[in-house]
Amino acid sequence: MARIALVIGAIAAIVYPIPLQLQGTTYYQTVGFLVLVNAMLGVGWNVIGGWAGQFDFGPQVFFAVGAYTSALLYVKLGVDAWLGLPVAVAAAALICAVLTYPLTRLRGHYFAISTVAIWMIAQPIGATWEYIGAAQGLFIPVKPRTGVLASALSLQFSGPTKAMGYYYAALVLFAFTLALMAVVERSKLGYYFRAIRDDQEAAEGIGIDSRLYKVIARSITAAVFAAAGVLYAFWALSVFPEQVLELNWSTLPIMATVVGGIGRLWGPVLGAVILIPISQIMSTTLGTGPLAGRGIDLIVYGLIIIVIAAFRPTGLLSLPWSRWFRPGPATA
Amino acid sequence: MTELAQAVVNGLQMGFLYALVAVGLTIIWGLMEMINFAHGEFLMLGMFGAWWLGAAFGLEPLLAIVPIALVMYAFGVLVYRHLMRRVQGGDPFTQIFATIGLLFLLQNAVVAGFTSDYRFVNDSLLVRLGGAKLALLGLTFAMPLLLAAGLALLLFLALYLLIERTEFGLALQATSEDRDAARLVGIRPQRMFAVAWGLGAALVAVAGAILVNFFSVYPQVGLQFTVLAYAIVALGGFGSILGTLLAALLVGVIQSVTVVYLPPAFKDAFVFASYLLIGLVRPQGLSGRF
Repeated sequence: MARIALVIGAIAAIVYPIPLQLQGTTYYQTVGFLVLVNAMLGVGWNVIGGWAGQFDFGPQVFFAVGAYTSALLYVKLGVDAWLGLPVAVAAAALICAVLTYPLTRLRGHYFAISTVAIWMIAQPIGATWEYIGAAQGLFIPVKPRTGVLASALSLQFSGPTKAMGYYYAALVLFAFTLALMAVVERSKLGYYFRAIRDDQEAAEGIGIDSRLYKVIARSITAAVFAAAGVLYAFWALSVFPEQVLELNWSTLPIMATVVGGIGRLWGPVLGAVILIPISQIMSTTLGTGPLAGRGIDLIVYGLIIIVIAAFRPTGLLSLPWSRWFRPGPATA
Repeated sequence: MTELAQAVVNGLQMGFLYALVAVGLTIIWGLMEMINFAHGEFLMLGMFGAWWLGAAFGLEPLLAIVPIALVMYAFGVLVYRHLMRRVQGGDPFTQIFATIGLLFLLQNAVVAGFTSDYRFVNDSLLVRLGGAKLALLGLTFAMPLLLAAGLALLLFLALYLLIERTEFGLALQATSEDRDAARLVGIRPQRMFAVAWGLGAALVAVAGAILVNFFSVYPQVGLQFTVLAYAIVALGGFGSILGTLLAALLVGVIQSVTVVYLPPAFKDAFVFASYLLIGLVRPQGLSGRF
């Protein structure tokens, strides 16, 4: 069952932009791009939030670190995005580890607020630091590329294939992240994370250094956010503090994770597929009518989250799907 | 030097307002150990209420405090009874999510009703006082802020007496200490939680109705106060009413002193830097007890 769903989903994700490209409706490819970016961020947040059980409200800081690092490398040194990506990811993971280690002395809500604190401190730094362009940020110039291969290798798509190019780039990064996290989930690391979440004292009792593994978990989350930040920077062609440090870079992936199923590998993916298109569909159907731009999509988000939290806090994937879809008497 | 002293004095006055913003969270989060990320949205509703009552009926914001407190008390009780009670027993995460959902819902319901435009209260008692100043020891006190701070302090003291000196307050504290033991002596914990949510919502909304004299009103105004309130409650030591006042004054002073030396963008950064510092070296907060 699950394997069939996976194959169908993978084929759908790969074929999705092609009819749209033929019709010339690139708008929906961009919706797909945003779904993939948020799904990827959710899969990353799940490591610290879902597995290690530490509520992290500030991963957008590392989204920004990734975006800025790759943009700086490109603008100042001419390093292409794919080469900048590992540097950006490593920088984010390292900065995250250094910042998070002292924070792991704090637990529960105190830890959650300390991640907000880091974000609150990062904002004015981003807005005033001249080297990274202060409030204006950095602009990423598009260099002319000849052919699809050159565009793909430099992560710079332009013209009529721009939306499709970034969609596939996002799909590649998303699939890579998901595959990697599937390995982490079943590795020793994954079990350590969940042991700390379920009972920190017991985990320490069997010799797990809870502070160390919380730092590792959050650095993995930071690395995923940084990679998505690189992709986003080259898609948006600019990086500025209000854009990359926006709270939505954590709230949307977190909401997607909760709606789909926190702590489940595929939870954020399902959540993003459900939530992200809502705001796009809303803005198309409301058009320029009286309710356009009035936050109706976010009201719907709020209601979905409230209903999930109140009735099914373990998320949609935790519903007994296999029992509903299996013919014949249910088996345990 | 006078500049610094003036900044400290201004920060202290602002701090009294912050204390009123944060103390509702002290009750809900510190005392009753429930999370509320929609705290700033309750404040925003108070601000909108005060602005709307003024714009539609010409009601003075300082008088609008009474109906706003009553309505928001009822609203807080409703939120507890119909949403928070349901998620109370489960994983603490679900409380975070339920109130984040509430945050999105309330904020954008106001966007739907009133748009995201900035609104200003420009015909209130305090705004009309405008330039009036009081000079003392070479320092100047702007009358509107001084009066607002005084009012906030009065309300804060009334709440302090309610929690620390009345039978009701004792029942609330007893529920916070040990729910089952409280039940044994005839306190109904569910009722205490509902009252705590009502009080918390009413207090922060009243703070909002005072703040409309100094801040513009728009649907997204809440978040900055939510994060400040969390820092204040944690700094003050959970559940300590006087600790909240102390921490709020400290936060007010840090903000106004920061602005003397650094760009205004940094004013919250230093508040949170001190949260981290104090959280790491003194995790029980300024006056918390273990």
